[in-house]
Amino acid sequence: MNTLRLKGLVYDLQEFYLLSARGLLGIVRRPFYFNDTIEQMDYAGAGSFFIIVLVSLFVGMALSLQLSAELSIMGLKTYTGKIVGISIIRELGPMVVALVYTGRVGAGIASELGSMVLGHQVDTLRVFGVDPIKKLVTPRIISSLVMLPVLTIIGDLVSLLGSYYIAVFISHQSSTFFWSSIRQVLTFQNVFSGSFKPFIFGFLITCICCFMGLSTKGGSQGLRQATTQAVVLSIIAIIVFDFVLTRILLYVLGFSV
Amino acid sequence: MIRFDQVSFAYNRNNVLEDVSFTVDFSERVAILGGSGYGKTTILKLILGLIRPDSGRILIDGDDITGKTEDELRVPRMKFSIVFQEGALFDSLNVKENVAFCLREYSRFTEEEIDQRVREILRIVDVEDAIYLKPEELSGGMHRRVAIARALAGCNPKMFLYDEPTSGLDPVNAENICKLIVDLAKDGKGFMVVTHKVTDALKVAERFMFLKDGKIQLDGNRKELVGSADPDIQQFFSELRPGAERRGL
Repeated sequence: MNTLRLKGLVYDLQEFYLLSARGLLGIVRRPFYFNDTIEQMDYAGAGSFFIIVLVSLFVGMALSLQLSAELSIMGLKTYTGKIVGISIIRELGPMVVALVYTGRVGAGIASELGSMVLGHQVDTLRVFGVDPIKKLVTPRIISSLVMLPVLTIIGDLVSLLGSYYIAVFISHQSSTFFWSSIRQVLTFQNVFSGSFKPFIFGFLITCICCFMGLSTKGGSQGLRQATTQAVVLSIIAIIVFDFVLTRILLYVLGFSV
Repeated sequence: MIRFDQVSFAYNRNNVLEDVSFTVDFSERVAILGGSGYGKTTILKLILGLIRPDSGRILIDGDDITGKTEDELRVPRMKFSIVFQEGALFDSLNVKENVAFCLREYSRFTEEEIDQRVREILRIVDVEDAIYLKPEELSGGMHRRVAIARALAGCNPKMFLYDEPTSGLDPVNAENICKLIVDLAKDGKGFMVVTHKVTDALKVAERFMFLKDGKIQLDGNRKELVGSADPDIQQFFSELRPGAERRGL
């Protein structure tokens, strides 16, 4: 039984890598599904805009509140801007936006593709000679590679505005000093570190959710299971890869730990 | 020509087909009968290479498709057009876009020509009025008709495959779909219909295969099917006996 499970796991991993590689290669190979890509970008980008703004705003405000409270005890309240800036740009911004993106877009991808599999729509594509990976996976990968970094930048800006509001209007810090602290942390290293992660997260979320969706079996219960697994695996992947990427980026960008 | 050569297939160690062999010409009108889970749809999926047999060979026009890759399967698949159970229309596309799918993918028609061709096909299946409706706005019968229209718009298939084309439909719609299936076969293109409804099979087909326990229990014409003494086939007929008797079967 265990051998069978292990075999199954290895087979699934192999299929996942193949899907990811073929999905990525589809970006440079004909045919190109331009309209599908635009449709996915609209769903993933414009559709997620409001929720990303809302979540990022409150994350920024909560972070600022916590730091202001703790730093004021130590008499270091003026460092709020700097710490908030680094936390949001390098770490929290990309991670929070990716998690929200998983909940909204990733779950949507898995359930949509899953219901297409169960409704024989994917089989129909194959019978028509259309490669389901190129038609369904590649447009979603492109969409995530473009939209997740954009949403992350928007999320970072909104988080910083939220933290500015708390620092200046609640914690009564200097507005000028807050923004100058933020400007100080807007270095190439920090910005690169924060904007590189969404590309990897976007690719991972899309590939995992597409794979789980296309592997759906067994009716509505199977669809529920596939969607849940897609979201759970994506969240785990984001958190694990965030650590790995942080370690690599700190090393590459010359930070000492 | 389709040839199954001792084909076996199992789902999760559950044998669905065991050493099944048969040959079907593209011009034949075949009905595959059997209860749910007897492997009827599996046969259609095997013909299209959507699943691979555990053993045996499947030859399409003499070409063994068993070990072919997804890219290599494109050519043999083009010889068929399938109407899946429930139609399998693309949810995100309206009726026109569904029917035009293959034309847009593989032809160099202009939008005007595609529009004209789609309307022509929809007229044949009598759902022209639904051209801009989405699949969720269609009734069961219309859904099936649009699916047949999409199959018709395919790349000049040699044979149509129908998976339970009348399941879930009321008798009037089921009758209309059966008529449509027969009408579309008038130009010599054959079909394979998978169904558990003996009455519908008798309306459309000339050759009948009865599946049970992974094997073909009967492969013959109408007379052989109706006259079969096989208790499994008799049992299958029993529910329909009053109707069958009325038609003098």
